[in-house]
Amino acid sequence: MLRVRFHGRGGHGVKTASRILGSAAFCTGLQVQDSPVYGAERRGAAIAAFTRIDKQVIQERGLVLDPDLILVADETLFTDPGAALLAGVEFASVVFINSARDRVLLATEYGIPCPVVTLDLSTLTTDVVGRGASFSATLGTAACALAGITDRSVVSQAVQKELESLHLTPELIAKNVNAASQVLDHLSAVSIRERPQGHTASPIHPPIHLLGPEGTPVIYAPGNSARRHTGSWRVFRPEIDLNACTRCGICFAECPDAAIHLNEKAFPVVDYDNCKGCLICETECPVHCISEQKEVRT
Amino acid sequence: MTTGLETGCALLTGNATAAWAARLADVDYVPAFPITPQTEIIESLAAWSSGGEIPARVVNLDSEHSMITAAGAAAATGCRAFTATSSQGLLYAMEALYTVAGWRVPFVLVNVSRGLAAPITLEPDHNDILAARDSGCIQIHAETCQEVLDSILMGYRIAEDPRVRLPVIVNMDGFYLSFTREPVALPDPARVRAFLPAFDPGAVAFRASRPIAQGVGALGGPLYTHFRHQAHLAARNALTVHEEVATAFELEFGRSYDVIERYQMDDAEYVLVMAGSFATKAKAAIHTLRARGRRVGLLRLRLIRPWPAEAIRRELAGRRAAAVIDQNISPGLGGILFQEVAATMISSQSRPGVMRSFVGGLGGKDISPGEFMHVVDVLENSGPDEPTEPELLYTEADWSQIHPLLVIAQTPDRHSNEEAAP
Amino acid sequence: MKVKREFFRNLKELPTEELLAPGSPMCAGCGGLITLRLVLKVLGPNVVVVNAAGCLTMLAAYPYSPLRASWLYTTMGSAPAGAQGVRDALDVLIARGRLPASEDLRVVVLAGDGSTLDIGLSSMSGAIHRGLDFHYICYDNEAFGNTGFQGSSSSPFGSRTATSPAGTTQHKKDLFALWLAHRPPYAATVSAADPVDLAEKVRRSMQFRGPKLFVGLATCPPGWGIDPAQGHHVGKLALDTGIWPLKEAVHGEVRHTYVPDHLKPVEDYLQTQARFHHLFSPQRHDDILATIQNEVIGYWNEVRHREFPQTLLGELSRADLR
Repeated sequence: MLRVRFHGRGGHGVKTASRILGSAAFCTGLQVQDSPVYGAERRGAAIAAFTRIDKQVIQERGLVLDPDLILVADETLFTDPGAALLAGVEFASVVFINSARDRVLLATEYGIPCPVVTLDLSTLTTDVVGRGASFSATLGTAACALAGITDRSVVSQAVQKELESLHLTPELIAKNVNAASQVLDHLSAVSIRERPQGHTASPIHPPIHLLGPEGTPVIYAPGNSARRHTGSWRVFRPEIDLNACTRCGICFAECPDAAIHLNEKAFPVVDYDNCKGCLICETECPVHCISEQKEVRT
Repeated sequence: MTTGLETGCALLTGNATAAWAARLADVDYVPAFPITPQTEIIESLAAWSSGGEIPARVVNLDSEHSMITAAGAAAATGCRAFTATSSQGLLYAMEALYTVAGWRVPFVLVNVSRGLAAPITLEPDHNDILAARDSGCIQIHAETCQEVLDSILMGYRIAEDPRVRLPVIVNMDGFYLSFTREPVALPDPARVRAFLPAFDPGAVAFRASRPIAQGVGALGGPLYTHFRHQAHLAARNALTVHEEVATAFELEFGRSYDVIERYQMDDAEYVLVMAGSFATKAKAAIHTLRARGRRVGLLRLRLIRPWPAEAIRRELAGRRAAAVIDQNISPGLGGILFQEVAATMISSQSRPGVMRSFVGGLGGKDISPGEFMHVVDVLENSGPDEPTEPELLYTEADWSQIHPLLVIAQTPDRHSNEEAAP
Repeated sequence: MKVKREFFRNLKELPTEELLAPGSPMCAGCGGLITLRLVLKVLGPNVVVVNAAGCLTMLAAYPYSPLRASWLYTTMGSAPAGAQGVRDALDVLIARGRLPASEDLRVVVLAGDGSTLDIGLSSMSGAIHRGLDFHYICYDNEAFGNTGFQGSSSSPFGSRTATSPAGTTQHKKDLFALWLAHRPPYAATVSAADPVDLAEKVRRSMQFRGPKLFVGLATCPPGWGIDPAQGHHVGKLALDTGIWPLKEAVHGEVRHTYVPDHLKPVEDYLQTQARFHHLFSPQRHDDILATIQNEVIGYWNEVRHREFPQTLLGELSRADLR
């Protein structure tokens, strides 16, 4: 069985990517399971999707905790512990990262023990499909290629079918099929290593009863959500040029997340630990002293 | 009017008793919604509240779903809340019942059992209350009006104990208790206060000085499992807490309760297992049967959640045969409590050689002495390999009563068992 | 034309205190979240928020809560009843001397439009009818946003939802009018796109005992199909096209707190959102667009007649759109 796990943010199209791989494998006569997992978080937050492929009926369900392939749509997720990109990486044969950076450097930087494959899907997708497009077609195709499904007509059909089900316009689908085809030019099948089989019984934790309301989900530390650090969701960061700022207070008032506060001189200060990068502040600044910068994290 | 406080005893219906129990428990808050046969309970409390006889605030809500939410929210704020419903009302509140049990807030809800629609009816059976058996609420089933009163007072002690912290439902049968007057000993309010001091919510209540978030989401299997299972452990604790509370109650008021009631059990070879007010009828039948030399006893289930497995196993061990008479029906399965009793006995080496399931008393249909005789006959004549298919207690007399009605309604006379014949 | 304000004249006067900490799991650019943040700023910290299932339910997901105030999640259909229980309990405990008045809280229901106008309608109606002393905040994103943007009875005519892919054929229920039929002391429509108007109304409402409505148009980037950065801009267009009137009613007396001198064409608003794209492409649906525009013009003409009979504000027509 081939177990594939996709990581991205809501809006990146990882669910559709997992389905493109699923559909392509299904077309070639294989057994397939694909599924996404949703948490409490919304668009911009880390999400994952899974595809299992086998010649036999698949006797697994749910999360893929022991992936053969891990595909990462957004490199910045490595700094988000909640995204758990490397969970079960010891089973993985390859980690694919959407990045223009050097793959050996990435492996060292993020402590990836297996080979890393990269391709700059962001640039490719933006160039061929357009700015702000999701990575579903390019990421799904990358997975197909790495999994050894390289027949262009099979992959194109899978992309076509999955994007049609999302009601994309024919022009947009054609652009995505084109982008997918270019991904096939750059990537090829990787060899999947054998892994040991068999499980031993798990140790069971004895139940512990907490008295009264302690046994319910009560939060005694209200306002503690700043510890989530939703700044990891951000793709573009707002930068305020304080020399041009007139202290009008609009960015402060309109930030949905209270991620801008005013300092003692009433200048706005961005809380980058938590700013999700919605960029309402940039749009609304009347003197245009807020600019967007592509987020780079190390 | 003689309240009975002077004499210590009064002639009260089950509904009036429930209202008196809430009054004696010095409840703070009564969210209400009318439904027959429960409505008299909240009417009494509303009259006392508006007359200034009790400090409790009585508020009419817009549905039982809202009513249970309001009761739970008030308890989550530190009030002692009381409310009552029945039948369709309990089912309408079902989502809220699970919710407030999940909040782990203490209050007492009286359910006046009534058969469920459709077809709509007014008289009792236990399908309503048993539909709530997985909600996390504690369930106490009363046989008499006195037991209604005592169970409500004990119910607050159990619900508010930090080891439990769950809502308690006290169940009484509609009409058979709710509208039936019988003598009830009303305890002295000062002694009730000694037995049941004011509710102390501790650190979990809404206060300006101490903001908290209650009832929040718990996403992910391990986290959800942890909290959900806590409710199970808390409910299991109610067995121990019930024992302690019963001891304190007996010391204060002289009446003693166990999680089950044993009637003529010492030498019983044949045991009837029942819950609720119809147990009284079983006791009368046992009296007759005993006079004929047949050694029959009754095991009455008082606590149904938590399930008193140990007491049931102890009481049924070594008997020749047991019959569970369920006043409920799970279509496609049969009696609900039979399944739970049978599962309890499965691991016992000395379980009764015969265990039979009977369904009777649906929608308030009588279980006559003759039907109890029939049940015991079946037990005596059954072997260990008899099927456990439930038998419906429905007499020739019952059929002759309703058959003319089918004729009046011009019901087409088609029998599936006849059609199936060649 | 704007009305005179008593408490907040400009943005600089908004309270700087934050009662909603950053780090919530809401979408980037959430219009419901900004509405709640602004309301809470004015209400202050002594608040318990009673929530109905919806997008904002996930604000408090164990072990995190962004609220520097109390929170109780109830069910989708009974948040107003939860508010009733909390309010009554606080009143009884204070009246019986078991709680000092200094521990009292303002009770606030937080519900989306689906909870408010569909599953929780009778619970809300009951609470208003009982005269419950509470604030009701409806963040109106005009659909069941949390479950993937299915149509609610607040979805506007012509809008596409997950359950009306060809466009909603019903007209939006009027929550403000529904409240007025219950004769509450205070009701208001608000928009995060006008924070000063919102703050002023919240502050004004605090002098009234009884049920107080705040329904805020909540721009929804994923549901409406807008870039998160455009949320505020789209919210302003809703005001300037007259689609979302800002008004309040004190003891039933209605006044509009922002009366645009000229209305922008509704198309300026509709075209910003993917949920209305089908009205323009592949072909224009002039009939639907005209219905939406005429409803808006008719509404504002009625407002002019009723509230400004003495002024020079004449009858609006399509020719007046700018």
